[in-house]
Amino acid sequence: MTVATVDDIQRVCVKIYAPEPDFDDQLYVPIFHDWVRERVFEDLILFDVADYAHVPESPGIVLVAHEAHFALDRSDGRFGLLIQRRVSGAGDSVESLAGLIRHGLEVARRLEQDPRVEGKIAFDTSTLRIEANDRLRTPNTDDGYRVFGPIVRAAVERAFGGGQITLARVANDARDRLAAEVRITASAAC
Amino acid sequence: MDALLPARVAAAHHEESAMSNAARTWKDALGSRLPEAIAEEIDQYENQIELRKQGKLGEKVFAELRLRRGAYGQRYDNGHRYDGSKTQEIPFPRRGLTKGPDTEFDAPGMQRIKIPFGKMSAEQLEVLADCAEEYSNSILHVTTRQDIQLHFVDIEDTPDMHRRLGAVGITTREACGNSVRNVTGCPLAGVCRSEEFDISPLASAEFRFLLGHPDVQDFGRKFKIAYSGCAGEGCGRAMLHDLGFIAARRVVEGHEQLGFRVVVGGGLGPVPHVAKELYDFMPLKDMLPVSQAIARVYARLGEKKNRAKARIKFLVARLGIEEFRRLVDVELETLEPDPRWQQWLDEGERDAREWSAQAATRGEAQPAPGFDDWAATNVYEQRQSGYVAATVNLPLGDITSRQARRLADIMRTYSNEALRTTVDQNFLLRWVHRQDLAGLYNDLCEANLVLSGAGTITDVTSCPGTDTCKLGIASSRGLGAELRARLEAKGLQFDETLKHVNVKVSGCNNSCGQHHIADIGFYGSSRNCGSYKVPHFLMILGGALEDNAGNYGLAIGAIPSKRAPESVDRLLDLYSAERQEDEGFRSWVMRVGKKAIKEKLSDLMQVPAYEEDKSFYVDWHDSREYSIGDIGVGECAGEVVSLTQFSLASAESKAFDASIMVDNPAASEAQVQEASQLAYEAMVLAAHGLLKAANPDAKGDPASVFDAFERQFIDTGAFFERYIGNQEWPYFQAAHGAGGESRDRDESRRRVEEAQLFIEASHACYARLLQAQSGSGGSPAIAAALGV
Repeated sequence: MTVATVDDIQRVCVKIYAPEPDFDDQLYVPIFHDWVRERVFEDLILFDVADYAHVPESPGIVLVAHEAHFALDRSDGRFGLLIQRRVSGAGDSVESLAGLIRHGLEVARRLEQDPRVEGKIAFDTSTLRIEANDRLRTPNTDDGYRVFGPIVRAAVERAFGGGQITLARVANDARDRLAAEVRITASAAC
Repeated sequence: MDALLPARVAAAHHEESAMSNAARTWKDALGSRLPEAIAEEIDQYENQIELRKQGKLGEKVFAELRLRRGAYGQRYDNGHRYDGSKTQEIPFPRRGLTKGPDTEFDAPGMQRIKIPFGKMSAEQLEVLADCAEEYSNSILHVTTRQDIQLHFVDIEDTPDMHRRLGAVGITTREACGNSVRNVTGCPLAGVCRSEEFDISPLASAEFRFLLGHPDVQDFGRKFKIAYSGCAGEGCGRAMLHDLGFIAARRVVEGHEQLGFRVVVGGGLGPVPHVAKELYDFMPLKDMLPVSQAIARVYARLGEKKNRAKARIKFLVARLGIEEFRRLVDVELETLEPDPRWQQWLDEGERDAREWSAQAATRGEAQPAPGFDDWAATNVYEQRQSGYVAATVNLPLGDITSRQARRLADIMRTYSNEALRTTVDQNFLLRWVHRQDLAGLYNDLCEANLVLSGAGTITDVTSCPGTDTCKLGIASSRGLGAELRARLEAKGLQFDETLKHVNVKVSGCNNSCGQHHIADIGFYGSSRNCGSYKVPHFLMILGGALEDNAGNYGLAIGAIPSKRAPESVDRLLDLYSAERQEDEGFRSWVMRVGKKAIKEKLSDLMQVPAYEEDKSFYVDWHDSREYSIGDIGVGECAGEVVSLTQFSLASAESKAFDASIMVDNPAASEAQVQEASQLAYEAMVLAAHGLLKAANPDAKGDPASVFDAFERQFIDTGAFFERYIGNQEWPYFQAAHGAGGESRDRDESRRRVEEAQLFIEASHACYARLLQAQSGSGGSPAIAAALGV
């Protein structure tokens, strides 16, 4: 039984983990404001910085783009860059998700290289958490995963240009987003 | 995995998943779970979004329509943002397509969601969490009026969000715009030790009665109502509301009678007014007619053009309370009795019922560390023996989706789902058995929801300010977070002298953070220093929560934003040193005098030169050099859109529905007939809209509309001008003669087209009516139609 088709799964999230940094979240604020001012990403319309650092296990500091939220997130109890698509991306579900992953990797890389935090933050791009953020089309059920899993695999392959990919469904609260953990080894592109 | 969930929640999820196998949209998936009337309203709103995208609905009308669905603007939605050195354009993809005057369609907005008197079920909280996660950024924000707000929402996601909320009994209708906003009430109502009686059923009845009521659709500004259970405490805050009800009792001929003291014309904002007494006692059964009569007087006589003077407080001030009371009395005498008055009271009684029969534990749990501190500030002994209410203290009113789901589980386990949002931006779990308190604390600990200090000095209230509000001048949340952190670090939530001092921060003088009623209040302002702007906060001292927030403080001076925390420290030191035995903060301020206090803070009001310390020229939790260039036009006031414009917009939406239906080649015979009916209903709506220009109470059933329209607009010639109207009137006649039915698909299609033409002619006619009303033209026919 099909829950959704490959061409209409647009609401997705990608999380790239990093060890908990040893500095105050407020350090991200000027970095993100500078990025907005300098329009550092050609294909992202950046326009705001939101601060939820006062809330435990929250999205923390968020760089807001028209296309996606980029949050320094601890909502699942682990620190990482959470990228949440806001509006439909280009192409079908696979291409849209692959595009989001590429954006995430680009933002993570740029953050690592910013002189204000350089050497203090390191993202692990060999493990991603990819979530469906659409309880109608991709519910957190076995049926939902049967549809979402292949999309995730294809998108990761496309974003990383190959590599060995292992995929596992995250065992979480049924009310949470449907999620998969992806391990990428021997990656060609990243 | 499902073992993690209570059985019935898991069942509901499975049911939804099963539905979604067949359904591709929330509209299909929710089907019969959404009441028909609500489904229709949301469909209509979705059509209006589509019409706006096609340029077929004006931006001003659309703005008010979306505001009345709670879809509000947000900072930077004018497509510009100050970057610290200059203002840059935000290149949204559909630049120029707007959802209101100077409001880009693609810019995210805020969704306000009404939670009447703050009461919420576990299922409702879960759906709110899902919506926050899918359409926003996983943060739910509790407001000072017990609403929930989601930010960064795309307007095109709002209809589905409204459907999902509607399916669990939550409405966003009239959450913004010139309408009756959320009806608030004491969060402790029903369990409070000092209340006269439980106001919850009355607040519920009031909310239901006025939601969408025809008599509240023609206001010049918003209208806020609050219910309070007693006169002395501050939880209900009736005195700062447009209309406030304060529970009271009296004895008549030996029998005790319950009722309310009714106050009207309160409000904060730049010019705060304390409400005035309209009636010293009004029996419960008269609450709804009184509200209706007040609404009718306000709709008829309230200011419509100058929005700065359009709140009811200005009308009450202009007329005087005696004259206002006379007008309400006259209105009451002319109101036709409405059977819904009693019906809503009965339903309110059912809706507000809460009780937790059994304890969840045997009271054997060992509390996790921190329990005593938490219990000292966050737990309230209910008047019902053996029960307590526990506050979930939310920093700046924020909670994440995951926390909200855990809280839903906790509600089910410990409080039989009794939860209220509070006017202090927290949640209150009620009906918790005292023996369950340790278990509850442990579960809240796991959800990271055990912040102590609820209702104390560390529980700082703040509006969204420059974070997301278009009107924000300074970073109220930035300052709020800073104050909270510093005061907590000193442990002042446990300080017997200082913990009762309360702090509230607003980003501008519109007072959404309710700074006027705080011991220490702040509101954002800007000051020039050389050629630079410096963020400041006006300090307000001397407000009080007691007596339903009936005492407002006054500004003592502007403090540079970066020195505001230091100014609080100094004030607290002064108060601690100078207070007399048991003297409260407000009493100390009044005794010492604001002049003396100001002198002691005067050094903190100075701003160092830019070259000396640039940090003063940057606001809290921001890194950009400060500017007020991002301030936009607020939408608090909404757009003043007439009843006629609303009807015409609804007519267009119906015609649009009809056209979609009849254009579908696979449409069944029944759907073809339905399209024809919709087209006819669209014509009736358009005609009704024109009738309302002369008489807001014009009857809306098709027969009455047709007869009145013929009399006022056809017989007088008002509907006709040169080439307009002569064709379109026969369309309406024919549709009415056929009772909306069509013989076949072709006729149905024609009827839909004719409906559109009739609506266009109605728009033209309305333009002439407006011209005549403004005195800049108009024929005798138009004057006759208007009855002048």
